[in-house]
Amino acid sequence: MLKDITLGQYYPGDSVIHRMDPRFKIIATLLYIVALFIMVNFTSYIFTVTFLVVVVALSKVPLKFILRGMKPIFIILILTFLLNLFLTRGGDNLFSIGFLSITTQGLRSAVFLATRLILLITASSILTYTTKPIMLTDGIESLLKPFKVIGVPAHELAMMMSIALRFIPTLMEETDRIMKAQMARGADFETGNLITRARGLVPILIPLFIGSLRRADELAMAMEARCYQGGEGRTRLHSLKYSYLDLIGAIAIAALLAVLIVQRFWFA
Amino acid sequence: MSIRVEHLTHIYNKGLTYETKALDDVSFEIEEGAFAGIIGHTGSGKSTLIQHFNGILKPESGRIWVGGTEITEKGIKMTEIRKRVGLVFQYPEYQLFEETVAKDIAFGPMKMGLSEEEIDKRVRDAMELVMLDYDVYAERSPFELSGGQKRRVAIAGVLAMKPSVLILDEPTAGLDPKAHHEILDMLEKLHELDGCTVILVSHNMEDMAEIADTIIVMDHGKVVLQGTPREVYGQRELLTDIGLEAPAAMQFTKILEEKGISLQESVMTMDETAEAILRLLRK
Amino acid sequence: MNSIIELKNVTFEYKNGDEDRVVRALDRVDLAIEEGSFTGIIGVNGSGKSTLAKNMNGLMLPTEGEVFVKGMNTRDPETIWQIRQSVGMVFQNPDNQMVSAIVEDDVAFGPENLGVDPEEIRRRVDQSLTDVGMYDYRKKAPHMLSGGQKQRIAIAGVVAMLPDVIVFDEPTAMLDPKGRREVLEIIRKLNEESGKTVVLITHFMDEVARADRVIVMDDGKVALDGKPREIFLEVEKLKELGLDVPFATELADRLRKEGVDIPEDVIFMEELASEIEKRVKNQCQSESNI
Repeated sequence: MLKDITLGQYYPGDSVIHRMDPRFKIIATLLYIVALFIMVNFTSYIFTVTFLVVVVALSKVPLKFILRGMKPIFIILILTFLLNLFLTRGGDNLFSIGFLSITTQGLRSAVFLATRLILLITASSILTYTTKPIMLTDGIESLLKPFKVIGVPAHELAMMMSIALRFIPTLMEETDRIMKAQMARGADFETGNLITRARGLVPILIPLFIGSLRRADELAMAMEARCYQGGEGRTRLHSLKYSYLDLIGAIAIAALLAVLIVQRFWFA
Repeated sequence: MSIRVEHLTHIYNKGLTYETKALDDVSFEIEEGAFAGIIGHTGSGKSTLIQHFNGILKPESGRIWVGGTEITEKGIKMTEIRKRVGLVFQYPEYQLFEETVAKDIAFGPMKMGLSEEEIDKRVRDAMELVMLDYDVYAERSPFELSGGQKRRVAIAGVLAMKPSVLILDEPTAGLDPKAHHEILDMLEKLHELDGCTVILVSHNMEDMAEIADTIIVMDHGKVVLQGTPREVYGQRELLTDIGLEAPAAMQFTKILEEKGISLQESVMTMDETAEAILRLLRK
Repeated sequence: MNSIIELKNVTFEYKNGDEDRVVRALDRVDLAIEEGSFTGIIGVNGSGKSTLAKNMNGLMLPTEGEVFVKGMNTRDPETIWQIRQSVGMVFQNPDNQMVSAIVEDDVAFGPENLGVDPEEIRRRVDQSLTDVGMYDYRKKAPHMLSGGQKQRIAIAGVVAMLPDVIVFDEPTAMLDPKGRREVLEIIRKLNEESGKTVVLITHFMDEVARADRVIVMDDGKVALDGKPREIFLEVEKLKELGLDVPFATELADRLRKEGVDIPEDVIFMEELASEIEKRVKNQCQSESNI
């Protein structure tokens, strides 16, 4: 059930993408997302898609794993696609029933938007699939450090995220178990209207909430027992270092952006 | 009600690189009114197995009968099956959610659509069965109780549905010896009074020897042994191979045998061992 | 022998829920743990054993009385981190004491907090993972491991801090027999081979049968304190406290009550079997004499 969600998980491996510096990967992902928003024509789509396909291939994360990560947002994807398909006007009329009609412009924008969404999600999941959560949070912490002077609690944020990431699978398992246990007592999560269904969640949410509090309490104590006293004076097992891989990556993403900018301002 | 399983197979993460066969062609029968034990290591498939008995998990292939009903057949209403097959999960106290003990126990009966009087009666009966005084505990919050008491409330929540088959997954895990014995005594009493079929999943060989009348041993998703405790525990070598420890009484018998002392009959419990030794010494 | 932890007249009280009822979890406990020893602490739930453990490294501070670790008072904020480095702790639920989603990073957490050099952290992480037999799992995610394996990781995380004492707070309560055996074996090794002082809190008598000393807690007080052999003799008292006694001890007790003369200090199966063997052979001899 819930265990099947792979979005945001780490996929262990040792590919070139895995070995890149998390700071670079975070920035590169952000730049790639920017790229998604400046692309305008078919050529730029070809470039951005190819770029990501190469990255995915290099990461050696199985396609199946990535597709399963898409599952939770599948509905949103379909919805966006349909909305665009039917509501965008312009171009030639391709097909119509009643008040609904599909235009070339509509089809174009639906396909482009769906592709953009898929690219966005794949790109950000590649970041989490290939970066150990702790490296990811290290990266964020390190990137946020300059903002400490204006009061951004870099270390605390990073710690919070890393703990959240650590406990996601545990809480998933717990949700699964509580759901099954309540089902065994006759709870029904599949039928009824929205309100009865929402109320039906109470027997899951309360135990889950109480369980999380208990876990938080125990974890805090365990961390204290292991001398955790905030970010001050802490050393790290893995210190972050940029390598030539990051340089190659930086050149690649810069090239992509350059192409897209050229496309946008000279060809569009 | 009896439980019959034929060629049951269950696969987790089917089609993925880490797909695992949790159950592999499992067949057996548990008779009506039996007190059955299922033993095996974590990951042997025992928890997966019992979740099939009330339809919470669906098999890859194979058939399951509960009483006369084949629950693997299409169109069977699982909510009906779940009224007859009660399942108490591991650490059931973590599923409590209501404000009061009584309300929490009433959740199952309420979902069954029973009348208010009937629900009230069932809550009282269930609390009596698990030895929680209604007047003292009914209106208390379940979260204020001790670990052992919480567990009993959770079990009462399933008992209140009056299932014909009661399945419990490691009901004594994590409890101290006192609470552990209380739960087992309660199950024994319940089985005697109510005559329902009880299926107990555990890795405690001692408990099984004391309480079960038939034992199923699971390993790597397969049933490797089924029989009375005496028959099953007689297969010492097989059990050792799987890595299950024989009950202390049988370990002790083995040490005696190595010293050339034979206890005539096979013993499984403390009582039997004491008697056998006394007989030997008073001969 | 030196005492490494000393509890002096320790009382610990807390308020229970909204009722404002004060619960006394520890009641004037005097105790000293010897350096290098293996001490078992047993008792049912609510007997105060877990509170006792948390008072040993300043996770809880006594309401009254003092606790000293290597002469440092746990009340002193100056030395509290030194105390926690010296007295490591492994908890009951393996899931709720892991901070990181990667095994080796979790083991590194303690040394990182202590500000240890990255190279030295690497060395300690590898060493302690090897010590608990989990080196091959160093890149795995904890949620993919069994309970016993997770608990071994938790132990490695404490060992990597190079503590003098390790307090185990019911480390086997949530494990299956296999996991339990593995964890107990590691605890034994830590004491015998690495010379760590071990305090093992448990429900199970048989886990402390080979300890140097067993302390039985009841209602916040030390009810019994002595060598396992001395403690196990008190079959009646232990049962009264809701505890189980090991098989051989109970069987010996039963036989004794039936008039079989078995020496008081028999607690292991092997010893009891030898005693019975002696009696059976005597019987045969006297039979053949007639």
